[in-house]
Amino acid sequence: MESIHPTPPETTPAVNEPAAPIFSGKVQFSGKGGEFFGIWIVNILLSVLTLGIYSAWAKVRTMRYFYGHTRIDGHSFDYLATPMQILKGRILAVIVFLIYSFGSSFFPLVGLLFAIAFIFLMPWIINQGLRFNMRMTRHRNVRFAFKGDYGEAFINFILLPIASIFTLYLLMPYVLKRIDTYIHSNISYGDTPLTVNLKGETYYLTALICFVVSSITMVIFMAVLGLFGLDLMNVENQQAAQDPAKMGIMFGGLMIAYVFMIAIVTAVWAAAIRNHIFDNSQFEDVASFKSELKPIPFAILLLTNMLAIVFSLGLAYPWTKVRTSRMLAEVTTVNIYPSALNLVDTAQQEQSSFAEEAANVFDIDLSLT
Amino acid sequence: MHVQGHYFPKASSNYQQGVANISDTCVEISYDDQLISSHAISDITLTSGLAGLADELNFNDGSRFIPTDVNYRWPFKANKHDLLERLEKNKWAIIAAVIFTPLFMWLMLYKVVPAIAVYSVDTLPRSVVEQMGEQSFTIIEKLALDDSELPNEQQTKVHQHFNTMLNALSLEPSVYRLSLYKSEAFGANAFAMPHGRIVVTDELANLLADKPNALKAVLLHEIGHVVHQHSVRMTAQSAASTIVLAVIFGDLEGIAEVVLGTGASFAQQGFSRDMEREADSYALIQLENLGYSSNDFADAIEALQGAHTSENEHLEKVNNLLEYLSSHPSAQERIDNARK
Repeated sequence: MESIHPTPPETTPAVNEPAAPIFSGKVQFSGKGGEFFGIWIVNILLSVLTLGIYSAWAKVRTMRYFYGHTRIDGHSFDYLATPMQILKGRILAVIVFLIYSFGSSFFPLVGLLFAIAFIFLMPWIINQGLRFNMRMTRHRNVRFAFKGDYGEAFINFILLPIASIFTLYLLMPYVLKRIDTYIHSNISYGDTPLTVNLKGETYYLTALICFVVSSITMVIFMAVLGLFGLDLMNVENQQAAQDPAKMGIMFGGLMIAYVFMIAIVTAVWAAAIRNHIFDNSQFEDVASFKSELKPIPFAILLLTNMLAIVFSLGLAYPWTKVRTSRMLAEVTTVNIYPSALNLVDTAQQEQSSFAEEAANVFDIDLSLT
Repeated sequence: MHVQGHYFPKASSNYQQGVANISDTCVEISYDDQLISSHAISDITLTSGLAGLADELNFNDGSRFIPTDVNYRWPFKANKHDLLERLEKNKWAIIAAVIFTPLFMWLMLYKVVPAIAVYSVDTLPRSVVEQMGEQSFTIIEKLALDDSELPNEQQTKVHQHFNTMLNALSLEPSVYRLSLYKSEAFGANAFAMPHGRIVVTDELANLLADKPNALKAVLLHEIGHVVHQHSVRMTAQSAASTIVLAVIFGDLEGIAEVVLGTGASFAQQGFSRDMEREADSYALIQLENLGYSSNDFADAIEALQGAHTSENEHLEKVNNLLEYLSSHPSAQERIDNARK
């Protein structure tokens, strides 16, 4: 546990040997594709028949299924949101979306105003969503919480990403690091905050690897097309361009290469960053994590997921969700320390306090998904 | 009745082994014959059952009891609590859902939602619809249209054709208005705005200058778009399908979303082609009614096809391939349809 960086003065000395974990093991995921298929298809049928109203119940059932089947040390997570909370959020989102889409297609100026308003609303919406999702997550009778403020969110989600455009996106890995730090360092489990220590180097290195990997994929692809006598650099005066069949191969090939590249780059990024975040986050004296997601198996998983969804016309979706969750659980190790047994859910204890009541007024899920 | 499980005190991560004993009116949690807590059944909140998950008891003081057997369901649970779970596990219900879901989705997206949209636009005051249409028209006018350079005589002629048809169809001239513009962006073309303004470009008027009946056929096609309120239905349908995709496949990973999104926009283009066909058949029927021939429509399409082919010749080559990407049916299909 050596750190190259000077430790900030306010943290306690790091050399303090932590107590031995009382549990150390992998996250278990017990969901089954067949089981979830039944839930999913009934969800869709009832959602369509009720003009979307049931989708709020559907979301709660799906979330409860995945949370309930994810276990650490034999104890599952609980998803606590009620369908009415989700429904209110969705009705609001749909109304705003309808106003936007009708407004902007008939009064183009309204669209512009919306875009500006949206920029300033977004940090609030993001905070609200994170807050809601954390409050609705419980493990061993203790809830998670999120406390973030508007200013920080505005800087991380709006200002810095816009600034990075002017640096030709060279700032982007740093911005993503800031965003991940913001999200995770504001999470707490009961009254224990999550301490995170993410490093910019990892983000830059990962971005570089992603860039190299995508370039290599593209070069290999061009070489393969070259074998078919097609030259992407020189489409205009090509014999092949006159032949619809060859054009077809080229369009198809381009699509496949694009999909391939996205899957690989997504997997490389997700694996490196997920591992980095898990390895460098902990609930002090309560729990620490280790993630060993490998990019190639993950890329294969993403690609096969996509193929399965496309060729089954969407019916394989439940199976892909379940196997993705299973893979992520299998690569995640959690260590639990003795203090975990004596945690108290502060929010739940002061349930009648005014702040809690006021919070409940806005306790609606604002994300459409 | 004894049920093994874990008991969690209120708001605490600490738990202990326990056994729940059920009597007629209450549940007692005990361990080693030592009573931990006792709760009246009427004070217990139950969640609806979910496949493979334990059926937990939530007591009103915030403590919980979770059975070890995930398949155990409490006997005092009202029957309706597990209705969804039974449905989700019933293989006939699942098969029926697989078959009927696509059908219902299609009905909803392509029939119910557009019908609701048309109905709600009909209930909007005319002035609002007018305002909306003029707003977007102003933008198009600024971006892509220039003042007509046709001689006055020719302009009057086109307007006369238009007015004759409005009279014959007894349509309101204050709603259906014709404007002529020169447009390099559109070339030889015509389009209709939702509130009834119809635009014909100089290029089109010139192209069909010696085929007045073909020009009338084009005008009827555009009138057809307005009569059938195509723009409104299109907007409603695309908004609704976005919402439906978001709600049903909310959290797809990037690639699958791209693929399904592409599928959705194919469907959208298909919808647009259906609308073009509807406007075509409106034009064909009214041509016959007004004593012209449906061949006039075929002439118009042929002339347009000729004009557009000479504009971008090499694009035409991939046209067969791109038919599914097109917002209009193929010219040949439209001509055949008119000639038969």
